[in-house]
Amino acid sequence: MRNAFVIAHKDLRQRLRDRSAIVLGLVAPLAIAALMSVAFKGSDTFHFTMGVVDVDRGPVAAGLLKALDAPGLRQIVTVKTIASKRSAADAVRAKSVAAALVVPAGFSASIEGGDPLSLVTLTSVNQTVAGDITSSIATSFIAQLNADRLSVATALAAGVPTSQSAHLEALAAGFQIPERAVQRSIGAHKLKTISYYSPGMAIFFLLFTISFTARSFFVDRAQGMIERIRAAPVRPLEILAGKAMSVLVYGVASLGTVAVITSAAFGANWGAPAAAALLGLAMVVAVVCVTALVMCIARTQRQAEGISSIAVFGLALLGGNFIFLSSSPPVMRTVALFTPNGWAMRGFTDLSTIGGGLGTVAEPVLAILSFSVVAGSAAALLARRAVAA
Amino acid sequence: MRAIAIARVSIRRIVRDRTALFFIVVLPVIVILIVGAAERGFTTFRVGVVDLGAGQAGRQLTTAFEHSSDLAVSRYATLAALRKAVARGELNVGVVLPSGMDVTEGRGGTVAVGVMAEQANSSQQAAATAVSSVIAGQGAKVQAARFASVHGSGTFEENLARAGSLQPHVAQVGLRSQTADSSHNVLPEGFSYSAPTMLVFFVFLNALAAGASIIETRQLGMYERMTAGPVRRGTIIAGETLAYFTMALLQATLIVVVGGVAFGVSWGDPLAATVLVALWALVGAGAGMLSGTLFHTPEQASAIGPTAGIALGMLGGCMWPLAIVSSTMRQIGHLTPQAWAVDAWTSLLSRSGTISSIAPQLAVLGAFAALFLVSATVRLRRVVA
Repeated sequence: MRNAFVIAHKDLRQRLRDRSAIVLGLVAPLAIAALMSVAFKGSDTFHFTMGVVDVDRGPVAAGLLKALDAPGLRQIVTVKTIASKRSAADAVRAKSVAAALVVPAGFSASIEGGDPLSLVTLTSVNQTVAGDITSSIATSFIAQLNADRLSVATALAAGVPTSQSAHLEALAAGFQIPERAVQRSIGAHKLKTISYYSPGMAIFFLLFTISFTARSFFVDRAQGMIERIRAAPVRPLEILAGKAMSVLVYGVASLGTVAVITSAAFGANWGAPAAAALLGLAMVVAVVCVTALVMCIARTQRQAEGISSIAVFGLALLGGNFIFLSSSPPVMRTVALFTPNGWAMRGFTDLSTIGGGLGTVAEPVLAILSFSVVAGSAAALLARRAVAA
Repeated sequence: MRAIAIARVSIRRIVRDRTALFFIVVLPVIVILIVGAAERGFTTFRVGVVDLGAGQAGRQLTTAFEHSSDLAVSRYATLAALRKAVARGELNVGVVLPSGMDVTEGRGGTVAVGVMAEQANSSQQAAATAVSSVIAGQGAKVQAARFASVHGSGTFEENLARAGSLQPHVAQVGLRSQTADSSHNVLPEGFSYSAPTMLVFFVFLNALAAGASIIETRQLGMYERMTAGPVRRGTIIAGETLAYFTMALLQATLIVVVGGVAFGVSWGDPLAATVLVALWALVGAGAGMLSGTLFHTPEQASAIGPTAGIALGMLGGCMWPLAIVSSTMRQIGHLTPQAWAVDAWTSLLSRSGTISSIAPQLAVLGAFAALFLVSATVRLRRVVA
């Protein structure tokens, strides 16, 4: 085992002398995390200005304006009164309001008749969320008006004489829809962009270790280094173990440093330290095993570079290091669970949102270690051939 | 002719490398597919529903959610599973149907349907508002049944059925949506978003990575050997430029063809799109050659190149639309050529732009191409010398 430590020590010294290792292990993930932190600063909250045009000036329109002033809505909407529909459309185009709601002339009066008028929303194709929220607010308000109209119609159908319509309308106005939505706590923190992409980028650049280590193995072999080491009483597995240990130390140092700096400088939430450390360690072990497998499968330096590059980008893409996979179709979320980094991303997401400790990451850690066992066993089977070649 | 021969050799070296082919051909297509699929469905909100024993009323509300064109509904067995899905962002909103919903409604009480959405999350709040309006619409029937039972005749159940059958026939207060601003400042959703942005991203990124081949050529002493023969420095540089431009153009063309044929992307005005692709290939060629002269080892090119390419892609709006970031970040983004290229594609794909409407972007890209190519030429002349 001492031989493995000596080889690991030599590999680490060699790697640290090469500035590209520092770039990939530290500078790159931190630079990209910083970029994301700045790009999405302030975008974690949503608030927009809605224009309201009250041409009606009747009691129903007054009720709508009052509803728009509800405390719950104030958090996401600021209402701005606009004189005419044309001015409101201009304001939407000029981006001074994100969307507008128009109460047409005669709206209140039409509600009691058989042919009620419609409310109008003015939207922008570039402000779809504001447009959707405006429509939904209007729809919720209209729902009460329609519920009152349906109440009167149902009462009339249930035998109340038509002559009492006006009386029924007055009574229905006092009713409230008996099913309402109430905000319920998710019991979790919001998933911040920086909290997702800090581990995402740290793991992505950690995966590059596969390429570096595999290449260094074949460079060593081409220079006759492996043969010289084997001339000494060193077993093939010790050579691989030495390489693996250097990856382990480098990976843990890289992930740990990125986690500490992104937490302190950019407010990324990696979750409980012990759980995050265990998850990170499991991920580094998986990288070690994949590296060993690539070294054993490839026959030349060129092949090693090719296979590892494909492995790095394939894993990063499928595992969700680049793309927030939670909002993608379920099949892509399932595919992500066939990659160790997909499980790691899920674990870090859960730690940052749901919280908890070791229990939260137990399943992801087991899944990553299972992947590592499969990759590591395959590498061990092929190791003798690779070193002997 | 000698420049063409040099270009042909450089291209042959790149094409023989299967890894390079993976990055030039396979990877962009996979990314377009994944990003395109992930960026679909902005128009429907993902809603999860857990039924804690709400009975018939709960089932009716779930059906109402399913009938709403704005909502894509999934059912969850437990509250914990629903919570986890909302927290992970797999759902825009979670709906909790309370136990005894039937009984509460029958007794004249008010049912509180739980809606789980993050207050500071815009899409979750929009989804919550959409869900609330469906709940209100469903509640209208319950209100009508209760009202008719109090002021008319019949039981609650009879009047609920009556209200249900009357609802489609009672003239409704409607909502008309009018588009005041139809000038899109973002690319369309799905593959029409992912294909042009990934074209911009990968042509540049691969060109930067291909800079490693100039370093290898330098290390192998091939430039010295070439200049030993009757080959001028200008010819060598012209040959390398031609090789990088051809590779960038081939990759861009491939993405345009695959995007159009496999993913149904309409690339807009053909002339404008062709000029834009050619100009972007020139920008890529210049950047690639510059990286080949700036870095000292292939390892540096393969470590710093992708990092720089990804960072510039992020700043320039290849990873997310610049419309969603702050105006300062938008201005910083426009220091990169990527932002101007994405702006031009947005004009072509979203606003039916023509070559005259993207002329400002083409001019800026031309300036970037000239800057990169001149800088690369100056540096390469030194290297070859």
